[in-house]
Amino acid sequence: MRCVTQPSAQPKATPLATQKELSDFFAEVERRAYKQALFAVRDDHQALDIVQDAMLKLTEKYSARPPAELPPLFQRILQNTVRDHFRRQKVRSLWTTPLSGLFGGDPDNEADPLETLEVADDSQFSEPPAQQVERSQVLAFIEKAIESLPARQRQAFLLRYWEELDVTATAKIMGCSEGSVKTHCSRATHALGVILRKQGITL
Amino acid sequence: MNQPEHELAKKIVQHLDYGVDQLEPGTRERLAAARRVALSRYREAPQAVLGLAWAGQAVEWVTERHLHSARMMAAAAALMIAMAGVVYWQSINPVNELADIDTGLLTDELPLNAFLDKGFDSWLKRSSR
Repeated sequence: MRCVTQPSAQPKATPLATQKELSDFFAEVERRAYKQALFAVRDDHQALDIVQDAMLKLTEKYSARPPAELPPLFQRILQNTVRDHFRRQKVRSLWTTPLSGLFGGDPDNEADPLETLEVADDSQFSEPPAQQVERSQVLAFIEKAIESLPARQRQAFLLRYWEELDVTATAKIMGCSEGSVKTHCSRATHALGVILRKQGITL
Repeated sequence: MNQPEHELAKKIVQHLDYGVDQLEPGTRERLAAARRVALSRYREAPQAVLGLAWAGQAVEWVTERHLHSARMMAAAAALMIAMAGVVYWQSINPVNELADIDTGLLTDELPLNAFLDKGFDSWLKRSSR
């Protein structure tokens, strides 16, 4: 499955990540990273930009690390890039929205969350259509529920359960204590459970 | 209905994995392109992250493809100029002079010029009425 494994399995004098290893790592992680960014910023172009930025930063600055260190590093870079994005957006909207008329820039229009919902591709024939539709509907609900979570809870949940990082690594990435990672995770899971139950979805 | 958190999380994640598999081909293609761009910058021995690395970063930040930050900096520069203008204007503003005259009036230490001022004379008459 995933290459998110115990760093302890790596011998001390590990060779640094080769280009091939880095490429494999990106190929494995990029779609989830894209989704993570998409949950946060709700705009597919910006999400793609964020993933690309994170990949660039990892390649340029941290490729001299053993492959086992890549997942937590990449996640930290990704989260920071998302945060920078929000910070920049805040500053930009503060200064340029009043000036946008002068400069002709288009104001960031609020993305409709419905537009970013992924609908299942019709070309999948592996399962019966009814099941496919049901599945993609459940997926849409889940994705929307995750989008609606508070940012920190979503971050903790995705890092812990989707990226399969341990509590320590997640705490380091989020810059908080292990206790609050656990709290965020548990609250997120609880909230998701409640939302899904309200929709009458049992997993 | 109280399934353990872990199980629920796992099931949610399974659905998310399914969603990732369903990504549109266009998006996949662009992700792959982004990956290629990133990998093209790969170097066997990355530059030493020492000393003036931050300076390099700062220069890069200022120069490299940060069009919107250029716009932001233009806005910041405009703000600075405006603020400098306000400070300058305030310093040459007659408000200070007026304040001096008011103080003089209140402490009975009016400058001579005040008595030579016809306007002041008429104002005194008007206000004493």
